[in-house]
Amino acid sequence: MSSVQQQIFEIIAKEAGIDIGRISLDSTLKELEIQSLDAVQIIFEIEDQFKITLPDRDPNFDTESVKGLVDAVERLVAAKTAAAPATSG
Amino acid sequence: MRRVAITGMGAINALGHDAVATWSAMRAGHCAIGPIANIPVDLLNARIAAEVRRFDPLAHFDAKRLALLDRVSQFALVAAREAVAQSGLDFRADGRGERTACIIGTGIGGENTRDEQSRRFYADNNPRVHPLTIVRLMANAPACQITMEYGLTGPAFAVVSACASANHALSQAFEMVRSGKVDFAVGGGSEACITVPTVKAWEAVRVTADDTCRPFCRQRRGMVLGEGAGIFVLEEFEHARRRGATILAEFAGAGMSSDAGDIVLPSADGAARALAAALADARLAPADVGYVNAHGTGTPANDPTETKAIRRVFGAHADALAVSSTKSMHGHALGAAGAIELVAVLGALREGVIPPTANFIDPDPDCDLDYVPNIAREKPLQAALSNSFAFGGLNSVIALRRA
Repeated sequence: MSSVQQQIFEIIAKEAGIDIGRISLDSTLKELEIQSLDAVQIIFEIEDQFKITLPDRDPNFDTESVKGLVDAVERLVAAKTAAAPATSG
Repeated sequence: MRRVAITGMGAINALGHDAVATWSAMRAGHCAIGPIANIPVDLLNARIAAEVRRFDPLAHFDAKRLALLDRVSQFALVAAREAVAQSGLDFRADGRGERTACIIGTGIGGENTRDEQSRRFYADNNPRVHPLTIVRLMANAPACQITMEYGLTGPAFAVVSACASANHALSQAFEMVRSGKVDFAVGGGSEACITVPTVKAWEAVRVTADDTCRPFCRQRRGMVLGEGAGIFVLEEFEHARRRGATILAEFAGAGMSSDAGDIVLPSADGAARALAAALADARLAPADVGYVNAHGTGTPANDPTETKAIRRVFGAHADALAVSSTKSMHGHALGAAGAIELVAVLGALREGVIPPTANFIDPDPDCDLDYVPNIAREKPLQAALSNSFAFGGLNSVIALRRA
């Protein structure tokens, strides 16, 4: 399991107050009975932890499923790393 | 005309985490003003306050609920729980919820939340604001949280008038029950704004004391900040009597006025009009009143002005009045002040004991009433008033009658 995925599972479990064992990549937030206010807090914690911004209402980013979240975060973290200036010698 | 009974009382403040402990400490003349412990003091000039100490939110709320609650809402809920439990009323049964108003005063609302999010934003340069910020800091949050806790579906809102917020909120609740708009009300006030910048802001007004709060005495140096909540259940009087409820007191009347004068300095005229209006509304003659719980902040401006106003309204009877300021013991809880002070009034009416003005050293010639210095006094009472005179000249006086 990738580290990003583990961290996201932990955030979801903590913010939604559910057992981490219930979360799989195939889960949707709806299936996990995560209410909209909890979902918003999950997004916030993910953004805060990874220092990224998850776009609002972007069809290219599926933030309703756990897999979608993990994919989005991995993409945004990779983009951030790629954009980071090279350290000067 | 319908009458209004108080059938539940709850409080949390520096004197105790419930109304019972609060009244007990008031009777004992215990001063809960002390060194500030909840925030860092290195930037503060006056390092004293009347804080709610050793309060563990997780003892009252689970972590998920707590995420939604600023300290001001936590206090309001703790006090509401005590009051509603005492009333014995189940608001979710018999369609009662719809017939219940919920009106909770606060001076500033969720200040701790606003302060913390501002700190993250400006000091940490973190552009991400927590999603629950708005619902925590909004001034109506305490009222909302209480409606949600008890299924109160009648008129509900917050009232804001600085130091008079709680008395104004209680007055609104009283009027709604008296008029028949509702049959019950949960009313009171809550405040939790002791943060470093807020204390500095109060220091800057130059009205805060650096030693303690000594209302009405010559050595007074100003007010001391407090925090907490007081919440009460109001009920149509005959309904309370018929069901055998313990009626703590009759909420007899409310008087309000505005100074339309200075944004900080009080006016004896404005205060006198509110006092007189409360007496008239309650159909009380000055001689019927044995006790006035004063606004009594301990500032140079308030105490003589309030004294003048009381003398003007009570005339010859003023010398027979007991007047005390319990802010000497629980500090100035701003939007919660009138509600915490109502605990003092109800205790006085029920037990015939006037809580003292603590920390009193020498009398001030400009303050020449009987302020019950330092030691509580036994005095049977028929009726009492409780004063709140806020910044900006907003005055709210409530009248209570022994049940």
